Amino acid sequence: MAIIVKLDDLLHDRRMTLTELAERVGITIVNLSILKTGKARAIRFSTLEALCAALSCQPGDILEFLPDAAEEKEAA
Amino acid sequence: MTRHYSAALPIAFVMLRILIVLNWLLGAAILVLLLIMPHEQWIMSAFQLTPSPDAQRLIWGLRAVAALGLVTIPINNMILKRLLAMVDTVRMGDPFVATNARRLQGIAWALLALQLIGLVIAIIGKLISTPAHPVDFDTSFSLNGWLAVLLTFVLARVFAEGAGMREDLEGTV
Repeated sequence: MAIIVKLDDLLHDRRMTLTELAERVGITIVNLSILKTGKARAIRFSTLEALCAALSCQPGDILEFLPDAAEEKEAA
Repeated sequence: MTRHYSAALPIAFVMLRILIVLNWLLGAAILVLLLIMPHEQWIMSAFQLTPSPDAQRLIWGLRAVAALGLVTIPINNMILKRLLAMVDTVRMGDPFVATNARRLQGIAWALLALQLIGLVIAIIGKLISTPAHPVDFDTSFSLNGWLAVLLTFVLARVFAEGAGMREDLEGTV
């Protein structure tokens, strides 16, 4: 995916476990795991909002766009 | 997401199981009938027929109709079994899959076959009917049957679309 999810770093900085985040955000651990491991294909705004609220951050802190990865996908 | 409880599914589940058994019983009954049919004298006396070309045609007509009736049994079974499989997918919470679209398509074609068979039976009925021994199979033109065929084809298309949408949603958090 050309969109990277930086959940690991944020959780580490906030000293939070995935389980705690799941409880705070009201998303199943399964879905959070899908998100964390980069297997998600789409994210709802409601999910993004809940994550930002729980982690006190901006969407840009959670998501990053890698242009090179996108170009590789185009070429393939 | 709250699921609204509907009694439709459990009822459908039970009804389908019952219908499948009834269908096979009907098939057995028709088979017995066909096996008796070769004994023309028995039929003649049962229907109080006097041997004549008309009576012969009548008997052959009845045999043909019974044979056609037998053909509908496996078709009915296929429809009922597929419907049962579909009810199962709803119970498991994931009905919008390509398999169900295919099942509905198959059911639609089967319903069409049943309609055509019904038509043929009605025609046979008209052909063998005589003033002396009037025959009337009430499978005369029924709009509902043809409507059901159309409905099922459309529904199959709807399910195909739904399956596509469902797949698109896969991986959304």
